[in-house]
Amino acid sequence: MREQSVNDRRRAGHPEQRGRTEASRPQPQPKKKKPRRFYDYSLLFTIIFLTVFGLVMIYSSSSYNAQVLGQGPAYYMKRQGYIALAGFAAMLVISKMDYHFFAKFTVPAIVVSYICMFLVNFTSLGIKVNGQKRWLGTRSVRFQPTELVKVTVILVLAVVITRLGKKIDEWRSWGMLIVLIAPLALMVMANNLSSGLIIVGIGFVMMFIACKKKWIFILSMALGAAVFIFAPMIAMGLEKAGILESYQLSRILVWKNPEAYPRDGGYQVLQGLYAIGSGGLLGKGLGQSIQKLSFLPEPQNDMIFAIICEELGLFGAISVILIFLFMIYRFMLIAGNAPDLFGALLVVGVMAHIAIQVILNIAVVTNVIPNTGITLPFISYGGTSVLFLMVEMGMALSVSNQIKLER
Amino acid sequence: MSSFLTHHRRRILVTMAFLSLFMAGLCGQLGYLMIFRSEHYSTMADDLHERERTIKAARGEIVDRNGTVIASNRTVCTVSVVHNQVEEPEAVIRMLSGELELPEAEVRKKVEKRSSREIIKTNVDKADGDRIRSHGFAGVKVDEDYKRYYPYDSLASRVLGFTGADNQGIIGLEVMYEKYLKGRDGKILTLSDAKGVEVENAAEERLEPVAGNTLTVSLDVNIQKYAEQAAYQVMERKGARAVSVIVMNPQNGEIYAMVNAPEFHLNAPFSLAEGDGAASGKEKQDLLNAMWRNRCINDTYEPGSTFKIITAAAGLEAGVVSLEDRFSCPGFRIVEDRKIRCHKVGGHGGETFLQGAMNSCNPVFIDVGQRLGAERFYDYFQQFGLLGKTGIDLPGEAATIMHKKENMGLVELATVSFGQSFQITPIQLVTTASSIINGGNRITPHFAIKAESRDGSLVREFTYPVRENVVSEETSRTMRHILEQVVAEGSGKRAKVDGFRIGGKTATSEKLPRSRKKYISSFLGFAPADDPQVIALITIDEPVGIYYGGTIAAPVIADIFENILPYLGLLPGNET
Repeated sequence: MREQSVNDRRRAGHPEQRGRTEASRPQPQPKKKKPRRFYDYSLLFTIIFLTVFGLVMIYSSSSYNAQVLGQGPAYYMKRQGYIALAGFAAMLVISKMDYHFFAKFTVPAIVVSYICMFLVNFTSLGIKVNGQKRWLGTRSVRFQPTELVKVTVILVLAVVITRLGKKIDEWRSWGMLIVLIAPLALMVMANNLSSGLIIVGIGFVMMFIACKKKWIFILSMALGAAVFIFAPMIAMGLEKAGILESYQLSRILVWKNPEAYPRDGGYQVLQGLYAIGSGGLLGKGLGQSIQKLSFLPEPQNDMIFAIICEELGLFGAISVILIFLFMIYRFMLIAGNAPDLFGALLVVGVMAHIAIQVILNIAVVTNVIPNTGITLPFISYGGTSVLFLMVEMGMALSVSNQIKLER
Repeated sequence: MSSFLTHHRRRILVTMAFLSLFMAGLCGQLGYLMIFRSEHYSTMADDLHERERTIKAARGEIVDRNGTVIASNRTVCTVSVVHNQVEEPEAVIRMLSGELELPEAEVRKKVEKRSSREIIKTNVDKADGDRIRSHGFAGVKVDEDYKRYYPYDSLASRVLGFTGADNQGIIGLEVMYEKYLKGRDGKILTLSDAKGVEVENAAEERLEPVAGNTLTVSLDVNIQKYAEQAAYQVMERKGARAVSVIVMNPQNGEIYAMVNAPEFHLNAPFSLAEGDGAASGKEKQDLLNAMWRNRCINDTYEPGSTFKIITAAAGLEAGVVSLEDRFSCPGFRIVEDRKIRCHKVGGHGGETFLQGAMNSCNPVFIDVGQRLGAERFYDYFQQFGLLGKTGIDLPGEAATIMHKKENMGLVELATVSFGQSFQITPIQLVTTASSIINGGNRITPHFAIKAESRDGSLVREFTYPVRENVVSEETSRTMRHILEQVVAEGSGKRAKVDGFRIGGKTATSEKLPRSRKKYISSFLGFAPADDPQVIALITIDEPVGIYYGGTIAAPVIADIFENILPYLGLLPGNET
């Protein structure tokens, strides 16, 4: 039954399933006892903890810069706090909805995403910040459409894969998915390579779980590892062949030896390493970071993890990673127990998103991979990011809420 | 349904495993960065943050026994640039290289270096610093601090020592008492970020510097000055290479004066004497080190006849000789297969021990040495404290170079008896002689008396070990008598001072190799002879012409005593 597509089942209108949609609604078949339903409070509290911890760290890392800009010390924290609060409310509402309802938004979401990305890339509505066009709107009211695209991709893939059922293992289906998603991913990549990578990563993980194919995934993993290991040689070869620009090559070189480029490309990474290195085992104590005194540019953003390392030390940093790992574990549990494939895939998409972003962010901060702008979910400053993260969390919680505890 | 459960769940599990693996890897990288690379990065970060400016603490003054300041501080400036605050780099470079007389390239390198604060030059005169400040360039900082200043410039240069660029002691008392003199630097912690902006309403923390302690030393500027003057005179008159004088209180070891003529200029300790100009880096350093040597304590020499004081004291203490014992001097003594000559070729003939001492007759002391025997003689050296170091509070004291006990044959014993074939430092000789004539107390020669904080409260009173009864009171009295007779009627009669009872012993040591015919003339004197309050030793290195200690060294001590005895409150009597 779980193999049925979402809409099929909804049309069939199984009484049990429908009954669960909203708790307050009177049961159409009163002779069946209302089943106790699960709600993942562990996940909920992990979300609350991470968000609040994020606010504390944003306050710690940004209060100095906020004052330099002539704002109150809590400027960034307050802004983030308001959006997080609104997002939290939205999350609670979404979590109480039946997730099958989200499938209805597939087409609008994809259309809006395309429109937004088009507007950002090709019209004057796109706003450049720090040299990259990633924002849509005006100076005062703006958001990053890439965050919307991430949610859209999760939703679309979940819907389409569920619909295709066993046909997902056919190459034709792959082609269709690529036609659907690739232009979007490319438009994102044009200005934001890292978000593009995350989208590809989310797709990769969801497909890996849905498909029965094996070798294609192993092969691409091996290819990725090879590229990672031989990056400098490949980059140099490509540069000689004229495919890669010299500035792109320099990024790779900076990555391999940031201390040799303290002024240019290596500045941010090096400042991050200084922060991490000076943290030591137990850190300097909350609020005691020196690197945040604008040695590290915008410490409340991508590099906030470096400030966590400096202030809370190795123990603090590993604790944060463990909390994320716990969160991913909760996603795994929800996905594994989801009532149907659609729910499972939704949660898997969310899980892939969070995990990839956490891993890439920490990898950048610790200079394991070349520098590219990726935020740390829940902790880094960013209104759009936290809002859409809350939406995703709502979706995951909603799936968890459909798990029957007693059969 | 089963396919969802098995296939998808397994794949989710695999994904989870991979993600955990990645995260574990990142934890590993974090551990590597934060444990093994921690020191590396934190020092680099500290270097970057080194924005705080230190306020140098005033180094403690050194004052002589009467409170006269002999080492003080002068205000100087440190000029530095804060890279991010510099607005007109070109103008700043031009101005700084002009005012500080530095090559433009060097200044440019420092101004253009992207560091939080770069020091251009330290120890800049206050006038120059004020001028640079008056230009008013943004990003140029002039901080005042202190530089060591010696009001008497060359006075007791090797005793006082001097300080380096960071105001740390380099030689002499300056390094020995660094801990007390140094003080604690203060800090201005300006809260400024990478852009060099000093943040408003961020409190500027200021850690006040604590000045170093005032060190009172036993030197007496007047005695030192007089002794230096006398030393320079004899050095010039005799064309000597160098002259050293030690004036000490034999009762407690306080040193009143320590002269090493020619002295060097403490306010310019790195400039060599004329004629040594064109030397390479290493040669220059060697020459500087040679110039900074304190010959009274860093160098050893063959003491010659002044050492007979020790031989006599050992003989008397052991009871192997008395004042009336008779000896005969044919002008030489044959010891084993060696013929050891007396300085008087014809010999002194028959004489008592007292007369032998007054004549400084070598055969007499050879006999005393032989009566003692190597073993016993050596034990007395030990008892007198002659074999070790004196423990003077100056760095780099040289130890006595003496034959090993088991290698001391009769010939060695004979030569040691009259002060040859081994080496000791002048300070060791003075100290040992002091303990023999002061009643048998082995004192520790020293300079430092007390350290006080800037507000006058006592930080530490220095005490020094004294070992009592190294010779008996009786031997001590006899020795004072013998040495008084040496000056009254013997070889040291040119050391006589009207109205004072002076004791002493002359010496003329032939420098090694003997063939060079170079000498060190010396005289060790003390006064008053019955109750010694001051002891002095002069060594004249390589005098030209007449080189007998009794002839050229004794009068210098007489001259010094004549002036300093009344100064020390000793009134002339009428005993002589």
